[in-house]
Amino acid sequence: MDLETQIGRVGVLPYVAIGVVAGLFAAMFGIGGGIVIVPLLILITKMPARMAAATSLATLILTSLMGVIRFSGSDHIDWVAAIVIGTPAIVGVLIGIRFQKRLPAEWLILGFGLFVVGIGIKMVFAL
Amino acid sequence: MQLDATTLSLAIACGVAAGVLAGLFGVGGGIIFVPTLVLIFSFHQLDAQATSLAAIIPVALIGAWRQNTEHLVYWRGAVIMGVGAAFGVLIGAEFALRLPEATLSRVFGMVLLLVGGEMIISSIRKLQAGRAATS
Repeated sequence: MDLETQIGRVGVLPYVAIGVVAGLFAAMFGIGGGIVIVPLLILITKMPARMAAATSLATLILTSLMGVIRFSGSDHIDWVAAIVIGTPAIVGVLIGIRFQKRLPAEWLILGFGLFVVGIGIKMVFAL
Repeated sequence: MQLDATTLSLAIACGVAAGVLAGLFGVGGGIIFVPTLVLIFSFHQLDAQATSLAAIIPVALIGAWRQNTEHLVYWRGAVIMGVGAAFGVLIGAEFALRLPEATLSRVFGMVLLLVGGEMIISSIRKLQAGRAATS
């Protein structure tokens, strides 16, 4: 799909709404917006799965940066710990993207659906 | 933070796992970072969430950059969602203060079950349609 036709088809509003919902859940549960952004992009804007995942990562640059700025005055952020877990995650993200390339879209959506349901069960039953 | 060989290798394993999820599904990795910090490093919940956010920044940056080389990032949408999220955070903070956490968690969990269920059903339908078309 052409990148620029994407917004022409659904307009700006769905993106604003998805962003608000993602921020809402991020603030209430302390989880990133990605778990909300990706399925809503696929279901509402009909964005292809890989593009939805990629665009979600781009949004997370902004949302995590805003979160860090909000916390930066306090001593809640342990920078050493962030580096210790964040550095191997950089290697992981490149592995994940490589794997994603080889996965057909249906399987990617199925995998994500199972992941989302798993988190949903955990939250409903407070596991 | 106390670092010995065991915690360091656990942290690296969890970091890689969080990164793989991030790359594969476009989530930030906080879903793994936060419990890792709480359970392995005995962080308080709020410290874990704040530190997780800091760890997500480079992951999201490198991931988006990598995906951008294949023109998969819709930047305009990403920026609009980012601005929307800034407002959502403000509203969410109000809700979080006024409603009991268990109720919130249960409602959000049910939303995830619906959304995830819809994704599973639609993908299985497409897989079946594809199989029927090729046979």
